[in-house]
Amino acid sequence: MLNRREKTCTLVALALVIGLLALANSFLNQYYLRLINVMGINIILVVSLNFTNGLTGVFSLGHPGFMAVGAYTAALLTIPLRQKAFILPDLPAWLAQAHASFPVALLAAGTVAAICAFLIGYPVLRLRGHYLALATLGFLVIVQVVVTNVSQITRGARGINGLPPETNIWWVYGITIALIYLSWRLVHSAYGRGMMAIRGDDLAAEALGVNLVKHRMLAFTLGAFFAGVGGALWGHLITVVSPNAFSFAQAFILVVMSVIGGMGSITGSIIGAVVMTLIPEALRGLEVGTTIAGFHIPPLYGLSQVIYSVALIIVLAVRPQGIVGLREFSMRRWLKN
Amino acid sequence: MKKKLLIGALVGFLTLSVSLTGCGNKEASSSSSGGGSQGDTIKIGALFNLTGDQSSLDTPALNGAKLAVKEINAKGGVLGKMIELDVQDGKTDQTTCTNAISQMINVDKVVAVTGLSDSNYALAAGPIAQNAKIPFLTSGATLPTLPDQVGDYFFLCPFGDNVQAYAGAEFAYNDLHAKKAYILTDKAMDYTVTLSKYFKERFTKLAGPDSIVLEDSYQTSDVDFKAQITRLKALSTKPDVLYVAADPSKCGVIAKQMRDAGVTTPILGGDGYDTPLLIGLGGKEGSKNVYFTTHASMDNPDPVVQNFIKAYQEEYKKDPENAFAMLGYDAIYLLADAIKRANSTDPTAIRDALAKTTDFKGVTGSIAYKDGQRVPTKSVTILTVKDGKFAFVKEVIPQ
Repeated sequence: MLNRREKTCTLVALALVIGLLALANSFLNQYYLRLINVMGINIILVVSLNFTNGLTGVFSLGHPGFMAVGAYTAALLTIPLRQKAFILPDLPAWLAQAHASFPVALLAAGTVAAICAFLIGYPVLRLRGHYLALATLGFLVIVQVVVTNVSQITRGARGINGLPPETNIWWVYGITIALIYLSWRLVHSAYGRGMMAIRGDDLAAEALGVNLVKHRMLAFTLGAFFAGVGGALWGHLITVVSPNAFSFAQAFILVVMSVIGGMGSITGSIIGAVVMTLIPEALRGLEVGTTIAGFHIPPLYGLSQVIYSVALIIVLAVRPQGIVGLREFSMRRWLKN
Repeated sequence: MKKKLLIGALVGFLTLSVSLTGCGNKEASSSSSGGGSQGDTIKIGALFNLTGDQSSLDTPALNGAKLAVKEINAKGGVLGKMIELDVQDGKTDQTTCTNAISQMINVDKVVAVTGLSDSNYALAAGPIAQNAKIPFLTSGATLPTLPDQVGDYFFLCPFGDNVQAYAGAEFAYNDLHAKKAYILTDKAMDYTVTLSKYFKERFTKLAGPDSIVLEDSYQTSDVDFKAQITRLKALSTKPDVLYVAADPSKCGVIAKQMRDAGVTTPILGGDGYDTPLLIGLGGKEGSKNVYFTTHASMDNPDPVVQNFIKAYQEEYKKDPENAFAMLGYDAIYLLADAIKRANSTDPTAIRDALAKTTDFKGVTGSIAYKDGQRVPTKSVTILTVKDGKFAFVKEVIPQ
């Protein structure tokens, strides 16, 4: 636990972050604010993916599936009733009349995603290694097929548009900070230690009395809850949700962020999400072609994807444990220096 | 030691990339304050999915747009100012599309935006332009309800899918003399679902409520259509026309499998068929007796069309790949025309002028926004395949 001095420093750091966010919110233009929000949502997604993939060693590829569940749940709750009656005329009566404020919708998004995780977790979490990864991938495919075909509720491939743009810096970073705190407390609790023991060696952990299914289930549902919330935040930022946004490519991007930052570390998850949000965006500016010091660079579309992949290969070759590995940022170590 | 060096190099690489964000953006903002709408250039945003699944439609569209900008600037620009195209790649990804359009509007300060050929991406990017009150003229997205869904700053350059499906139904009834129709729809795409919906609406109105013998479906990812073909062949009442609403990657495959199975009934489709893939995948035999509705024909002797094709060949050393190249070209000319009529580079003035377009003569037909509609009334071209080549059939304006 933190001593008094560390606590004060943490609080000061938190206040500093909030102050910076407030400054950003009032002085930056919409583009930079959008980028900061996308970054925050990616942090939420990667830190929540870290519960399973990092802490417990349960390699899940189903994260976008939970995002989809959350995004659609929240969308159906926040869209104004008149608009809903117009775009979704065949909705069951109870759903057609359902309306909720944004925070309630976020909570519902997380809850429904967590319930889905609980239901599929029972059969799936008994599997190990590749089998489990494949089963979660199967879940992702099922979600996509269902969302595409239950068109009276989801509008199928057309997607639901016109979501109120409720996502702002406070919702995103409020939830990010809460999630990081929760993550940190979990890592330092008996449950978190149990999860890490499972990651190390599940047989040994079981022999020591760690309930495998229970711990995996906790990691899986908790991760799904925040994936659902993240999906809902994303939906209300983009203002349209459609099935092709929650694809295998999205799962791949999240795993890449987690691997590059450092699987198993909260700090690593945050760094991975920040770095892999900013780099492609920076490169996008470069690939349109520019003139630097009289030297003309022609447009090179697709360059950012190439560099993204090269960066991944370099990280995996040189530092397979990611930028920070399993280490965490520590206030104590930082204060000592 | 070596490892430390490599880590150092990696960290250096990451910092460099991040600092380049600042660099790139600074450059963009400085050029916008120097140029932009107040200076001697007019900035128009061009948001296209240049990589990913959409690139076969969006890359020709961007080429068309660039050609139009080059021509306009060679003639002295608009209102005495040069047009500067702010091109961004949306990467066939909704998040990237929204980031890119936000950057164009808030950092680069464009006065209007064009681009995109698919409604899913237009629905994500459109509201950002709408909120900033910047006109968005989509060059290729054909969902007829888009302007109503996004708002009064959103315009379509192509016809809506309802119009081409109506034209298809009228062509089937009047010219192919079809009394019974079969419909096959790709259920996973908005575009194909919309086409089939409107085809059915018009065809049943013309040929009677019982004129659809079967409505079948598939998913974009399917490659084998034996089940659908077996159901089609088992029908007791044979259809006179097969309306197959398919995307560019599937139309040739379906046509070939149907012909291989001995189905010779005419196949009819939408502008998704306007791709070299139709003949490439279908083959000469497979693409026989196939008709489709699209935006323009390369065979059209109209000098506007022929001049465009000649200019395109000179610029890119190849024929225009499809009608999207023409749509990208028309979109830029239409925006330039609106700026000229507005006599201003104020986005709202451009929007108002765009809404008052009554007779703009483009390569893809004449464009008019009638009665406050932001989907143009436009002629539809019907093409067929003859000896492995697209051939012009007729141009129609549906009822």
